[in-house]
Amino acid sequence: MLRMKARSLELSPPAWTILPRNLLALVVILAIAIMMHAWVRPAVGNYYNRVMMDVGINIVLAVSLTIVNGFTGQFSIGHAGFMTLGGYVAAATTYYGSQLLWSKAAFFGGTLSSNTAESVFSAGLLGGGDLLFVAGCVLGGCIAAGAGYVVGLPSLRLRGDYLAIVTLGFGEIIRVLLQASGPQVTRTADIAAKNPFELTTALGGALGFTRVPIYTTQFWTILFGGVTLLVAYRLKQSSMGRALLSIREDEVAAEAMGVKTTRMKVLAFVIAAFFAGMGGGLYAHQLGQINAGELGFMKSFDFVIMVVLGGMGSISGATLAAIVLTVLPELLRGVAEYRMIVYALLLIVMMLVRPQGLFGVREAWELIRPLTRRMFGSGAKA
Amino acid sequence: MSALLTVDNIGISFGGLKAVQAFAVEMRAGDLRGLIGPNGAGKTTVFNLLTGVYQPNQGIISLGGRRLNGLAPHQITAAGMSRTFQNIRLFGDLSVLDNVRIACHLRTRSGLSATITRAGGQIGEERAITERAMELLAIFGLGDRVDEQARNLPYGDQRRLEIARALATFPKVLLLDEPAAGMNPQEKRALRELIRDIRRKFELTILLIEHDMGVVMDICERITVLDYGQIIAEGTPAEIQKNPAVIEAYLGTADAPGVRKE
Repeated sequence: MLRMKARSLELSPPAWTILPRNLLALVVILAIAIMMHAWVRPAVGNYYNRVMMDVGINIVLAVSLTIVNGFTGQFSIGHAGFMTLGGYVAAATTYYGSQLLWSKAAFFGGTLSSNTAESVFSAGLLGGGDLLFVAGCVLGGCIAAGAGYVVGLPSLRLRGDYLAIVTLGFGEIIRVLLQASGPQVTRTADIAAKNPFELTTALGGALGFTRVPIYTTQFWTILFGGVTLLVAYRLKQSSMGRALLSIREDEVAAEAMGVKTTRMKVLAFVIAAFFAGMGGGLYAHQLGQINAGELGFMKSFDFVIMVVLGGMGSISGATLAAIVLTVLPELLRGVAEYRMIVYALLLIVMMLVRPQGLFGVREAWELIRPLTRRMFGSGAKA
Repeated sequence: MSALLTVDNIGISFGGLKAVQAFAVEMRAGDLRGLIGPNGAGKTTVFNLLTGVYQPNQGIISLGGRRLNGLAPHQITAAGMSRTFQNIRLFGDLSVLDNVRIACHLRTRSGLSATITRAGGQIGEERAITERAMELLAIFGLGDRVDEQARNLPYGDQRRLEIARALATFPKVLLLDEPAAGMNPQEKRALRELIRDIRRKFELTILLIEHDMGVVMDICERITVLDYGQIIAEGTPAEIQKNPAVIEAYLGTADAPGVRKE
């Protein structure tokens, strides 16, 4: 009887149907993003708007890193490298793209990309500029994913500290290469005259890539953050995600149970790098510039801390940690120069009190639901 | 009826140490064979060779006519040979259910895009995996502990969960590495029944490493004895019990140093 089932499982229906129910999540994310941008943004003012955007970007980065460090158990400390790479690609795409299309690197977006529009619905929601911006972010994500593939390859052989050193090295290589790039071309006529391939190396060098039109708004950070969360969640709830988790738990046993461990590890790196690249795009278009020197390994550690603090592999944990660790330094502005000391002390206390992270390996909802059941030591499935 | 699993003259050395030499065994579909020997005889090394953890220096392993040499462990599992581990290797932080569901991954079709969009029958596939895992866990008496973390199970349950997990890959050949280790007499009795049971239910061919002679002599039809990496005897349990080479390997000879000759 079970053998029959085995066959039917292997021949799962190939029909490519996207059920409306599966798109619902995306519609909800979109609706929240528009509502937050339309009503919350004007109400809270510039400062809080800025903090909320930072939170969104950090969620993208922390949750994507959770896929590698948390799910798969591969210790990567080069996440900022992917972010930088994607950020530069996205920034260069919008800057040079705007110059070529509209002869000027200015804002050509709709109200969804505007942090100043009084009413979101007064003018067009989207303009040509934001489409270019989104295309830039996706392209940045893809290039970062390619880099993720290259970095993922050594992870086939290395583990633990050794892999960490490789990813650290990768992040530094990205930084050094970008800082060694040629000066940014700023005259419209020069840009038009140049071969597009020459522009790919004109990334500003040590000065960073500046004059990037500002497109990042709450709408985009919530949309990208929401999509990152959705992908991570669906991955974790799937057979593929469980295969990643099994590698973290015991690689030898995972392989013996038929998990293609090498392929899955590279896959984790590629997915994480893609979202990190997109996050880098958001970052560059929030600040109006991106500088590889500011996104060194210290930035990578910020994200590692978020993942560890949240609990290895816990999406809700990483999200909460990203929120707390973004808001906390802002709250501590009151104690001025002691800010970083207090911040560090809080981290130490956290690790002493809950070494497994906020939620351990579980998700917030998993901890709440079976609490009473676990008290009696039996976990009967409802 | 021809052999399902043919192992011909395999061997492996680690540096100068010949861990396993000229190991050969032939198993027909439905066989239940024991592999015994003193500590360090190379029994687990044989399992590691069969499942691709180590590559043999020589010899041929074939399953149902397909050569397994050079394949990665996951490919061998996909080809139909699965195992348990001597030192339990469960996915400790994950739930009992997930431990079994992971072993089903091998037989799934959904790729990354289907996983993210939940399209192309992915939801149905997930349901089928869960259903199958629940059925297996029910057979192993773990049906009411599916939500527990695997590391929190009692020892005997962990051993049985390992077998359930191995079965979820739908093997033709099952390799059990000391399944009775650490079990109490009642659990051992139940284990014997269980092994007979699953062998019939899942049409399995089983190769079993075990130190508990009560279990081995009771359930195995044939036994292979290893010592110092070499086969020293092969036969039915009754033959093995009388074999002088086996007795010597386990108990030593009368003229071993330190033993007084009467």
